[in-house]
Amino acid sequence: MPGLPPRLRAARPAEARRAVTEPWPVRAGLIALALLFIALLLVLPLVLVFQTAFAQGWRTYLAAIREPDAWAAIRLTLLATIISVPLNTIFGVAAAWAIAKFRFRGRQLLLTLIDLPFAVSPVIAGLIFVILFGRRGFLGPWLAEHGIRIIFNTPGIVLATLFVTFPFVARELIPLMEAQGSDEEQSALTLGASGWQTFWRVTLPNIKWALLYGIILCNARAMGEFGAVSVVSGHIRGRTNTMPLHIEVLYNDYQFAAAFAVASLLALLAVVTLVLKSLVEWRAAPASAPSEAAAG
Amino acid sequence: MSRRVLPGFGLSLGVTLTYTSLLVLIPLGGLFLFSGRQSWSDFVAKAILDPRVLASYRLSFGTSAMAAAINGVFGFIVAWVLVRYRFPGRRLVDAVVDLPFALPTAVSGIALVTLYDRHGWMGRHLASLGIQVANTPLGITLALVLIGLPFVVRTVQPAIKDLEAELEEAAASLGANRLQAFRRVIFPAILPALLSGFTLAFARAVGEFGSVIFIAGNLPMRTEIAPLLIVIRLEQYDYTGAAAIGVVMLVASFLTLFVINLLQAWSRRRGKET
Amino acid sequence: MTIQANQITKRFGAFTALDRVDLEVGDGQLVALLGPSGSGKTTLLRIIAGLEQADEGSVWLDGVDTTRQNPRERRVGFVFQHYALFRHMTVFENVAFGLRVKPRRVRPGRDEIRDRVHELLRLVQLDWLADRLPNQLSGGQRQRVALARALAVEPRVLLLDEPFGALDAKVRKELRRWLRRLHDEIHVTSVFVTHDVEEALEVADEVVVMNEGRIEQKGHPDQVYEHPVNSFVYHFLGSVNLFHTRVRDGQVRVGEQVLAVEGEDEAVVHARPHDIEISRTAEPGWLEGTVLRIHGIGPVVRVEVRREDESLVEVELPRERYADLRFTVGEAVHLSPRQAKVFAEAGRQSN
Repeated sequence: MPGLPPRLRAARPAEARRAVTEPWPVRAGLIALALLFIALLLVLPLVLVFQTAFAQGWRTYLAAIREPDAWAAIRLTLLATIISVPLNTIFGVAAAWAIAKFRFRGRQLLLTLIDLPFAVSPVIAGLIFVILFGRRGFLGPWLAEHGIRIIFNTPGIVLATLFVTFPFVARELIPLMEAQGSDEEQSALTLGASGWQTFWRVTLPNIKWALLYGIILCNARAMGEFGAVSVVSGHIRGRTNTMPLHIEVLYNDYQFAAAFAVASLLALLAVVTLVLKSLVEWRAAPASAPSEAAAG
Repeated sequence: MSRRVLPGFGLSLGVTLTYTSLLVLIPLGGLFLFSGRQSWSDFVAKAILDPRVLASYRLSFGTSAMAAAINGVFGFIVAWVLVRYRFPGRRLVDAVVDLPFALPTAVSGIALVTLYDRHGWMGRHLASLGIQVANTPLGITLALVLIGLPFVVRTVQPAIKDLEAELEEAAASLGANRLQAFRRVIFPAILPALLSGFTLAFARAVGEFGSVIFIAGNLPMRTEIAPLLIVIRLEQYDYTGAAAIGVVMLVASFLTLFVINLLQAWSRRRGKET
Repeated sequence: MTIQANQITKRFGAFTALDRVDLEVGDGQLVALLGPSGSGKTTLLRIIAGLEQADEGSVWLDGVDTTRQNPRERRVGFVFQHYALFRHMTVFENVAFGLRVKPRRVRPGRDEIRDRVHELLRLVQLDWLADRLPNQLSGGQRQRVALARALAVEPRVLLLDEPFGALDAKVRKELRRWLRRLHDEIHVTSVFVTHDVEEALEVADEVVVMNEGRIEQKGHPDQVYEHPVNSFVYHFLGSVNLFHTRVRDGQVRVGEQVLAVEGEDEAVVHARPHDIEISRTAEPGWLEGTVLRIHGIGPVVRVEVRREDESLVEVELPRERYADLRFTVGEAVHLSPRQAKVFAEAGRQSN
């Protein structure tokens, strides 16, 4: 699974006590090393973001966020997210149903295709839409003739966001639904349930945590995407800047406090995402454990 | 094939194929088609021979490999510590490992450059040691280490977890000391997962944009990464130039994807043998 | 309710799982499909349920062609090997599921559903577990919930796929007797799949022995056990000793057994270990050998005898009888089958 490593369900102690382990100085040293590495690499930048954002006080902070261009960026980010997340969720569920519940020719190829957006640079994600819809792209002249603007406009930003967040939900659901098999669906059918009844009453409850997990990740990426959106946006202040792009503009204008103020909103989103993610993992752990002896 | 028992095959596959084609297949195909519009020699000149492009590949692939290697070492240690040892705050650290998945790259980008430029919290001290991070390949590597870490940790963690305690106990009962047990028993068992994680981190790093461009300084020939060069070509309305570099990078990601699949198949086979 | 499967053929790629199989199950019968894994028994069951589509052939339920019907329309109860309980629903909700998904016109009311579910749970003796989740139950309990759930919709036939396959030996035994009693009580036409000979012979009214996608034999359990029609069935139903013997004048002779065969050079005589007489004293015509090994397991003692031609013969004796004889390893003994069989089916199995 390129792009996103297998999800780790609620990290639980493997064994409380092992007979064979390292001597305690080695253990302490390794723990210290790991903690230091995480602290320097991950925690310090996060602390810096909040520290810098509030360095010049609340007033400056609020002013930076209330500024009209910042507002426009927030609105555009939310718009792109509100369109992308549901579409990719519906797609993810459909793809997982087709791939996990059926065997057909080209199935493996389709799986690889779904993974592709993870493997592709976000810049290329933007590039392909510029080449399709840009002024000198395939459809550029035709679009210009009809007065339709996709690149350097909201539709381009939505498309780029859709592309980079495309696999998140499908990728969470497919392995889970494959592992769960279709026995429960089959028994629902023999008990007289219709296809939709089977989906809503049997399949969906079984995948709800993985679905939620996928949606949370999809949402975080949709709101935070930079590279792909940057290529198609054109950086028109107040019109085609999303929050991450607005941060870049502010930073390049040396408005550091404002840049970090907007950044702190996204950092907060990241923290909330991590908390939700941990909650879901924690909730899903008992439910997703196979309820019966594994099939032989 | 005969009729299927579970309903919804046509609908779900139809939705999937339509959506995948519209959003992924056709646009990516368009890129190849577009770069096919020029002659082969033009393509080679733009995609490979141009010294600025060549320098950007060297930088992108070099720093990505370096970062993935660093993550191979530290990611392994982090994963080991998280699986094997109990200490206060372990769950928190485990959650924080995923931060790079959740934190928008632009945010980590400006945070890193602010930390590591000459006046930054870290950069100040490093500068007094004569080490410059911002605007150098070192800074790029640092950014790539940050975004690549969870890939290694999350791939290696389950492999360590699946290691049977018996293996190590058997090694110990046969007289191996801890280091020998690690080198001859544990490490070979984890190796496929570790390589998978390395490759995933590498693949992600090669394409990374947001967290790198702030700290890179973007000096042509020196600290200009390949994805940035695509953006620059586009800004100059040189679509064919951009597409040419895009195709090379896309082919590189296909290759890494292929390697990852091989590694994961290997790792699955390994898993079955034990 | 009767089941009729006509000329069912099913292929998975190059593998033929079922080859023109005919099966008929009479009203109220309990039939076992018995065979090794890969014999096609589960596939046949799933085709009857509509969970799998046959490539050729038809399935008739109660005289109506249901070949083109989906499982929902067939109204069969299916019990899965691994139970397939809905893991997010309580035992009560699992059993109620089939009633709740009925179209509104025919859906029973809330109270009626509750009464029906409790009635069924009492039937399977699990009423006290109604509020548990499946993963809080033992294997045997889960299997009984699965059965109650299948019965809730009043299926026309009940199909059980290796119903006791995932349970340990003791629970299996209890549960199969319980299934027999339950069937005597409710009399719904039932088919179950198993690879366990004892289970099939003990529980079923009729046993259908399958192998390599074909039915080898069907009949009453005693009939099948006492009169296997071919070497496969003989082998499958129990341990076998084989005697490769020359044919003389249309007859073969092993010990005191003389069997008629149709003209071949050599025939293979089959005899069960408990049907072989063993003695210290030489009798005319008996086979000779030396005792190689003796194991006493429970009520039977097994004696392994090596014949002069190096072939091995296994003999089973009741413990009391062995106590009288007390053979020792290396001792010379004499053997003769009390009962034996020869099958006229040269190389049929290897095709």
